[in-house]
Amino acid sequence: MHQTTILIVDDEVEFASALAERLEIRGYSAIPVFSAHEVLSMIEAHNPDVILLDLKMPDSDGIEVLRNIKKIRPFIAVIMQTGHGDPDSVRLAIESGAADYIMKPINIGELTKKIEALTEDTEKG
Amino acid sequence: MKIRDKLLFAFAIYVLLAAIIGFVAYKDLSTITNRLQLVQVADDITNTLLEIRRHEKNYLLFRDKDHIDLLSSFLANLKQNIDGIQREIILDIGNAKYMELKNSIGSYEKKINEIVEIHRAQSDLARMVVAAGQRLQKELRDELLQRFIALRQLEKDFLLKKDSRSFKVFQESFVAMPQGDDLGRYGMLVERLHLLHTREAEIHNAIIEHARAIELFTTNLSAKERADVNAILALSRKLLVLALLTVLAVGVAINVKLAKSIVIPILSLEESTKRMAEGDFSVVNQIRGHDEIASLAQSFNDMGRQLNETMGSLELAVQNLHEKQRQLVEAEKLASLGTLAAGVAHEINNPLAIINEKAGLMQDLMELSKNVPRKDKYLDIISSILESVNRCRTITHRLLGFARGMETTVEAFDISTAVSDVLGFLGQEITAKKIRIQRFLDSFLPAVASDKAQLQQVLLNIIKNAIDAVEEGGVIIVSSLTDGDDAVAVVIADNGPGIPEDRIKRIFEPFFTTKEKGKGTGLGLSITYGIVRRLGGEITVESEVGRGTSFRIRIPLKIHAKKEI
Repeated sequence: MHQTTILIVDDEVEFASALAERLEIRGYSAIPVFSAHEVLSMIEAHNPDVILLDLKMPDSDGIEVLRNIKKIRPFIAVIMQTGHGDPDSVRLAIESGAADYIMKPINIGELTKKIEALTEDTEKG
Repeated sequence: MKIRDKLLFAFAIYVLLAAIIGFVAYKDLSTITNRLQLVQVADDITNTLLEIRRHEKNYLLFRDKDHIDLLSSFLANLKQNIDGIQREIILDIGNAKYMELKNSIGSYEKKINEIVEIHRAQSDLARMVVAAGQRLQKELRDELLQRFIALRQLEKDFLLKKDSRSFKVFQESFVAMPQGDDLGRYGMLVERLHLLHTREAEIHNAIIEHARAIELFTTNLSAKERADVNAILALSRKLLVLALLTVLAVGVAINVKLAKSIVIPILSLEESTKRMAEGDFSVVNQIRGHDEIASLAQSFNDMGRQLNETMGSLELAVQNLHEKQRQLVEAEKLASLGTLAAGVAHEINNPLAIINEKAGLMQDLMELSKNVPRKDKYLDIISSILESVNRCRTITHRLLGFARGMETTVEAFDISTAVSDVLGFLGQEITAKKIRIQRFLDSFLPAVASDKAQLQQVLLNIIKNAIDAVEEGGVIIVSSLTDGDDAVAVVIADNGPGIPEDRIKRIFEPFFTTKEKGKGTGLGLSITYGIVRRLGGEITVESEVGRGTSFRIRIPLKIHAKKEI
């Protein structure tokens, strides 16, 4: 069985690494990415199934990063994480190709459910 | 009566009084002048009479022609005086008395003439007696002559004394004489002389009597006229004093009346202006009458009423302005509070996410580990941390939701149905608390074009609050109605404990809660407030401690562009 690989893109090092460790415990391959600039090279290196992308990072705009990802890998499922349920940003993210969104602080169970749903889809597809 | 008329009236009364007093004084003066003339006449008569009496005495003493002439001339004067008395004076004296006076004077004159005649007769007779005596003395001889000479001595004595005693002495001696024709004639002559003497005495007495009568009359007349003049003067004095007192009294009365009718309304007007100056425009001053002051008061009252109305509308405008300003300040405050809250929530959210992940990782690791001492205790602590994080998450999410708002979807719906739906959602809680819901929902309200879901969220929040507020078995009244032409309103009233005045002002502020600690985030009403404002509506609250709280939500039929908060 193919192990699901997840990129966790967040400038908060502590957050990203802790979340990656928790997903590892749950049987996923999770790689924290602490800078938006590294995202594309990390995709090349790890070929992830799911990317968990922070909508707001100090050095870059999450929507912009999302569009760049979609340019090179249109079929990677991207889950946007937001600090709040700002409907405009969420809508913009969905329109820009995001598969889903989740609000911080993250409920781990909710996240794994979303990942499962997305990977099931890709497996089926 | 107008003030001008009043003043003219008062002046007319004064002039009338002055005219009456002047007339009375003039009449008195002319009367006094007449009386004084009378006094003058009386004095003239008295003086003339005195002259007459003086000459009368002199005449009687000297029996000469000079005095009798003087007497006659004065008597003529007197008669002239008496005849010259004016008719009105005669009337005043009385005609009878006047005639009596004239008679007395006439009698007096007659008696004077008589006495003059008698005197002439006496001197004639005395000459005849002397002549007869001398003739007899030549004829008689011896002893008889001696006796006759003695008799002639007695005759001389009688002629000198002219009294009855000397006549009697003469007569006794005469009777003792031997009678003859010549002697008889002589005796008869002496006797006739005696008779004339007696007659003279009688006339003399009559003269004195008449003179006294005239004197008495003139004295009385003079005294009477003086007394009359004095009486008139005294009366005039009294009249003058009385007139002065009357003028004084009438003047005071008129002035007091005038002053009352002029000054009192002015004072009242002054009082009103003062009160008006102090801001009491409701004072309406009633002044009776139709004079200048009454019309002034009328204009003043009109001005006061207009001022009052103007002030009233001004006050209303100021009140409205205050209310708008208060709402604006409230909205501004809530907006800045929202911005602040959103900033804080956003900043807190990241460290919260880290805590969440770290604690979650700890939980994962703890669960995976086998031989950890006091593992359950640690797991308890971790799940407590996660729970708290969860609570924080709720708060930050709601805060952000309040600050940023949600997407607005406009659809047409019936507000009463929406209220019923919300009450349906809360059916379980209502039943559990045995709350009685009274519905006054108008099913014919115009459709509202607004965000149904958000409005239901609002209604849900408010009704939930009401459910929380009331005791078990409490009452909640939910009504829907029209609010003007362009809005509907929903009123939710409960009979809960109510909210004190100092807290009701802050009820829409974020984090402000009247609930027990830990039971509410203090965000429900501020989110509700934000939604209602965003939809162009208004939410107001009224509350009375011990009686309950009532929320009124005004929803416009169409959403107006409103500043987002």
